[in-house]
Amino acid sequence: MMKAVNAKRNIVTTFTKGDIFSKLSYIIFGLSNMKNGQVIKGLIFLALEIIYIAFMVMTGGHNLYMLKTLGENTQGMAYNEALGIYEVSKGDNSMLILLAGVVTVVITGFFVALWLFSIYSGERARAMREFGKKPASFLEDIKSLANENVHFLFLAVPVVGLSTFTVMPLIYMILMAFTNYDQDHQPPGNLFTWVGIKNFFTLLSTGDRLSATFWPVLGWTLIWGFAATFSCYFGGMILAMIINSKGIKFKKFWRTVFVITMAIPAFISLRVVSTMLGERGILNVLLQQWGFTASALPFLSNVTWARVSVIVVNFWIGVPVTMLMVSGILMNIPAELYESAKIDGAGPIVQFLKITFPYMWFVTTPYLIANLIGNFNNFNTIYFLTAGEPLTLDYFKGAGKTDLLVTWLYKLTKDSNDYNLAATIGIIIFVISAIFTLVSFSRSAAMKNEEGFQ
Amino acid sequence: MGNLHKTVIGLNLKNHLKAVLASVLAFIALFLPYVDLGGEKKSAVNTALILLGKEVFSPSYIFVTGAVLFTVSAAILAVTSVFITSVKMLRCWQVVQSLSTLFSGLLMFSTRTMCKASGLFDNFLNKDLSFGYWILFIASFVGLVLVMNVTKTNVGYIALTILGVIWLFPILWIVLTAFRAEQGYYVGYFIPKGFTFDNFINLFTNNNVLPFAKWWFNTLIVAACSCVLNTLIILMTSYVLSRTRFAGRKGFMNILMIIGLFPGFMSLIAVYNILKGIGLNQSLMALIVVGAAGAAMGYHVSKGFFDTIPKAIDEAAIIDGASRLQIFLHVTLPLSKSIIVYTVLGSFLGAWSDYIFPSMLFGDKQSSYTVAVGLYWLTDFKRIDTYYTQFAAGALIVALPIVILFVWLQRFYVEGLSGSVKG
Repeated sequence: MMKAVNAKRNIVTTFTKGDIFSKLSYIIFGLSNMKNGQVIKGLIFLALEIIYIAFMVMTGGHNLYMLKTLGENTQGMAYNEALGIYEVSKGDNSMLILLAGVVTVVITGFFVALWLFSIYSGERARAMREFGKKPASFLEDIKSLANENVHFLFLAVPVVGLSTFTVMPLIYMILMAFTNYDQDHQPPGNLFTWVGIKNFFTLLSTGDRLSATFWPVLGWTLIWGFAATFSCYFGGMILAMIINSKGIKFKKFWRTVFVITMAIPAFISLRVVSTMLGERGILNVLLQQWGFTASALPFLSNVTWARVSVIVVNFWIGVPVTMLMVSGILMNIPAELYESAKIDGAGPIVQFLKITFPYMWFVTTPYLIANLIGNFNNFNTIYFLTAGEPLTLDYFKGAGKTDLLVTWLYKLTKDSNDYNLAATIGIIIFVISAIFTLVSFSRSAAMKNEEGFQ
Repeated sequence: MGNLHKTVIGLNLKNHLKAVLASVLAFIALFLPYVDLGGEKKSAVNTALILLGKEVFSPSYIFVTGAVLFTVSAAILAVTSVFITSVKMLRCWQVVQSLSTLFSGLLMFSTRTMCKASGLFDNFLNKDLSFGYWILFIASFVGLVLVMNVTKTNVGYIALTILGVIWLFPILWIVLTAFRAEQGYYVGYFIPKGFTFDNFINLFTNNNVLPFAKWWFNTLIVAACSCVLNTLIILMTSYVLSRTRFAGRKGFMNILMIIGLFPGFMSLIAVYNILKGIGLNQSLMALIVVGAAGAAMGYHVSKGFFDTIPKAIDEAAIIDGASRLQIFLHVTLPLSKSIIVYTVLGSFLGAWSDYIFPSMLFGDKQSSYTVAVGLYWLTDFKRIDTYYTQFAAGALIVALPIVILFVWLQRFYVEGLSGSVKG
């Protein structure tokens, strides 16, 4: 019944077919509600509209206008005639201008949502009336928050939180990729301004020092991502199969041995391992004491050694996670499959290749791709272990041979304040992750068939 | 060799003879060249005799002596088992064979020490190990695998033992360092010369330089608050996304997914400025608020879990007149103990190990540091030499409760984890 009413008029036909109140409620929010007996609701809509307009008149309009140039008055010394001295004149702060602009844009976004919601709500009240029903009173509306409208109640906090601390900053950073907010354009001393897609060109095109850093770092990020993901995947699978195989007693004990590494917060275990791998670290001490080598091995200081080291250490940390996850899935594989394979004379290797692995692969593809994206962005392992070192003169300032795109991004923001480059890299990471996610979407039955389990 | 036709219940005699051969081969290898002492080659038996003949006894001599003794006894037991083939006999041989393998493996780590302690050869390196040693090691290892095969013992034990040692090695190191009496990052030995509790005491008393107690409480406050807030937000979000259908639900999920594809800390600078705008910068409150604000992003696992609760239960409750809120509180939550524990654990752990945001937020304000930032600060190359043992003690204090929690609640974690992968 309700559905039929809703389907009757959409956002356009509400206007074209509506009476004068419906039409006017496109400009004066809540008018239709008030006319149809929802006075409080209508007044709230109207009040919110007035607040928004007042905000726009007082500051919002100015904020949006300033977005165009991001400020024109550079901070500098100006002669104060009254006092006869030079004093610092406060210039425009491009960063704050951009931030205020973004805040205004997001608030406007909420306003548009309010507009749509008020039209929809007014139209529903009108339709209810037309069908001879009494539109819900304000109290009933409040009560419905606990029932059919529970999503408004439950999602209010997340939506506000995400908009303020995730979406708004994200828009801000995305916009920053199109400015020249780098080391030489730091507010409040200097202004920065729009430069279009110049940053992407410098980063991607060949010939520049920046692109000479970007492409190798990207290459290493991809190698690292695949190596880290698949080594842990197969390692964890084999470990889980050993622990779960028949004849191993104290399964829980063995599992716990490996889970301990997983339970220790990553920054601790990685820092510890990093100190162990140093030139004077305990591992080098022991290897020399045991007679494996006469001089210290460059675990973290030679490029190739360091790259292998981070993959191995990541293996140490990642295998238990996969092991735990795989343990659950292994138990789900129907035992009859193995029994009939045994009767047919299949050995353990054939069983793995023909039963365990295909099953596992099928079930875990989405997990694997999520893991791959996670590893492309695996800040912790790299930053705590090597901090991107060994450094090299071939790269743009600060970047090292084990730096991933994310750790480089972090260094660009924290150490050298090249925010525009950092933002550009962030967008490129997004594009890469998005490509892999799309692949995963098209491949995964579990994701397509979300409702299948209910 | 009559045993080829024997059958004994509980034994798989297919590989018996091969195992015996391997064990005997290891025995023979004892008389082949073991070390190359600068051109002069000596067998294992010879070395053991020389070392035992020395006046000063070093504990490290035990390795070569042990290897010789156990390999000899393993070979004797192996040959005996050909004539007296019983489960008991073979189990006995298996134990001795594993000791023989263990000791000959350990020779790789101890020969240098032995050569040094006895004054035989000072510059010994493992490349000076002669072919006799490698035959000994490989033969006793193969022998062990084959014996385990005969007694139908899972060979996985060998792999698990070796892996377990490797996995626990760094953890053992940090525990030993935390109790080490000698200060400093660089020490030339693994096991401390003296043990002490001072490192722990210093952490809590030396407040001017190293306010660890403050860091710890900061983190505890943040962890406790975000554990409550984040869990509520995550559960509410995932409940709504899983159990109710409303306009914009798919859109909302897609937006969350797209946001998730951006590297999270890309926008921290903007977050910092927003916090400054509302007067929250450099405070613990900021950590809690920002953590809670983004918590909804982690709805996947619990949504996956809620998806598996049959819808019929909800429908029955609706017919009985329950509202959605009541269903959430009185039906869904009681059924979701494991996912609640998983979420609580996850947000609690997250607060302890979050590094990037607090480090950016607090900068040089050390009194507000959380343990992650503080401990990282301690391992800075300028401080590592002074504070390494304290760092280890701090790491232990932070890690221990978490490990206990984790091992205790492992079951829930596994359930949650496998909920994220729909099997």
